Amino acid sequence: MDNNEIMRKVTTIFQEVFDDDEMSISPEMTASDVDSWDSLTHIRLIISHELAFNIRFDTTEISELENVNDFIVLLKQKIS
Amino acid sequence: MLFNSYAFILVFLPITLIGYYSIAGKQNLKLSALWLVSASLFFYGWWNPLYLLLIVFSISCNYLIGNFLSTLDKGNMKKYSLIMGVFVNLSLLGYYKYANFFVDNLNEVINTNFHLETIILPLAISFFTFQQIAYLVDVYKGDVREHGFLQYCLFVTFFPQLIAGPIVHHKEMMPQFLKKLSYKLSYKNLAIGLTIFSIGLFKKVVIADNISLYVGPVFSTAEVAGYISFFDAWRASLAYTLQLYFDFSGYSDMAIGLARMFSIRLPMNFNSPYKANSIIDFWRRWHITLTRFLTTYVYLPISLPLTRYSMMNNFGNKIQFVHSIAIPVLITFLLSGLWHGAGWTFIVWGLLHGCYIVINNLWRQFHKSYFRNFKSVYFLGGFTSRLVTFLAVVLSFVLFRAESIFGAKVILDAMFGGNGLSLQIGTAEGILALAAWSMSSGTVLIIILIGVVFFAPNTQQIMIRYQPALEVNNIEIKALYKNLFQWKPNYKWALFTLIILFISMLSLANVSEFLYYNF
Repeated sequence: MDNNEIMRKVTTIFQEVFDDDEMSISPEMTASDVDSWDSLTHIRLIISHELAFNIRFDTTEISELENVNDFIVLLKQKIS
Repeated sequence: MLFNSYAFILVFLPITLIGYYSIAGKQNLKLSALWLVSASLFFYGWWNPLYLLLIVFSISCNYLIGNFLSTLDKGNMKKYSLIMGVFVNLSLLGYYKYANFFVDNLNEVINTNFHLETIILPLAISFFTFQQIAYLVDVYKGDVREHGFLQYCLFVTFFPQLIAGPIVHHKEMMPQFLKKLSYKLSYKNLAIGLTIFSIGLFKKVVIADNISLYVGPVFSTAEVAGYISFFDAWRASLAYTLQLYFDFSGYSDMAIGLARMFSIRLPMNFNSPYKANSIIDFWRRWHITLTRFLTTYVYLPISLPLTRYSMMNNFGNKIQFVHSIAIPVLITFLLSGLWHGAGWTFIVWGLLHGCYIVINNLWRQFHKSYFRNFKSVYFLGGFTSRLVTFLAVVLSFVLFRAESIFGAKVILDAMFGGNGLSLQIGTAEGILALAAWSMSSGTVLIIILIGVVFFAPNTQQIMIRYQPALEVNNIEIKALYKNLFQWKPNYKWALFTLIILFISMLSLANVSEFLYYNF
């Protein structure tokens, strides 16, 4: 899966979880930038990616994420 | 040894600092670490030398388990070893902290008459247990590079954070302990550390200890079902809410300040919790390192698999909410309550906060589905939300302070007007009595302090230019604070530190313990 494809898929998942079709994501984005990004959406976001990419995240991995970029780096590690 | 004692401030601290910097000047990391570990163990043993054995046993066990874990490859063996390690830690904590509680309740429920000597809770056991569990998990994940037994001892026993936190992670402390720069005498760090320490000491001995005078009598009356008026019940609960904050955040400040004198930064533990706009926000500001621990090691491990299960089976939103939030939050807060103390009051306190958080989350979901693209979740308005949050916290702390559920009920009853308003507002005597009550020194002090916790900048905000703690980058600094309340190394602030330190030292004569020593 190439970079663009991953990003497209990630964006779609974000749009679905946040229920916002126009949402775009950037690497520096953090949870505090998005009003409706709370613990529930956070966990849904994680699991939605797990299901879409057929991977598993570890609890300690996800508690250390600082921004979207960290998440994408972790995601790519898992896929490869 | 208490931070707020002459022995600590005038003897232990100066000797430890002088010894440290004269050894450290030679850039000998091993020797400096040995000095700090010895000083810390002395500090711990001052309270009860016997329990030195316990802490040394716990440290050695965890170090060995950690080493063993790091030799294993990922797999079931490694997993079971981790579980064993966590189990050893929890059993030790369980025995010392909960055995009495368990036996008492067992006797009550099934009418037996087991007798267990009262076990004295070893100082700091709740804190070093958690810290070492986190360490084992980090080793399991391969996040930790081991640096020898001495460094590990330093990580656990470092006296500023040994007794009551902040609860630190191996990976945020070790790099600092290993950095040569930490061992160089720095007047800047000494000055910053002393200022933070002095602010903390002032919070504890001048504010918290004085306000406790308005707490104790009312709570004692409640236990024997004495009469408590509406106003007295509120005053005592508000006073306790303030006492607990100034006591514990004062302690955390002292810990952060002391560590800074050794050029070590501890993580921030309080960020003006009573300015929180919601209960969720409150727990991000109150005892931050505990919330961090519970989120990572309790909440997420429960929530993640449940949510996974829920989403894979395409359950509806309601069931998903129960799986992702309600169940994990209630369990986490139940355990948080138990961690704070082995008693029913703490269990109910924990569950109450769990319910608060669930309601807060429900409210958010409801709000999200009705007001799409909302700008703020606090549609009550910032200040009203803060007030409601504060009141919810005040009510919960009645349970935290009361010695029994019965006592808490008596106070809460009075707060909700169960004993009437007692002052006849219509009559002249009533108005006079109310006036006298509101002008009494206690009431005035409480009103002033509520103003302080609502509006004043906190220690980290005052010291922000000098990176007072780890992870302070995301705290907001209001424009007003920026001009008036920013610490700089000048005469004005030196005088400020001198004055608060002087007043605090004079108040030391009436030493009291920290509330969090018992947890």
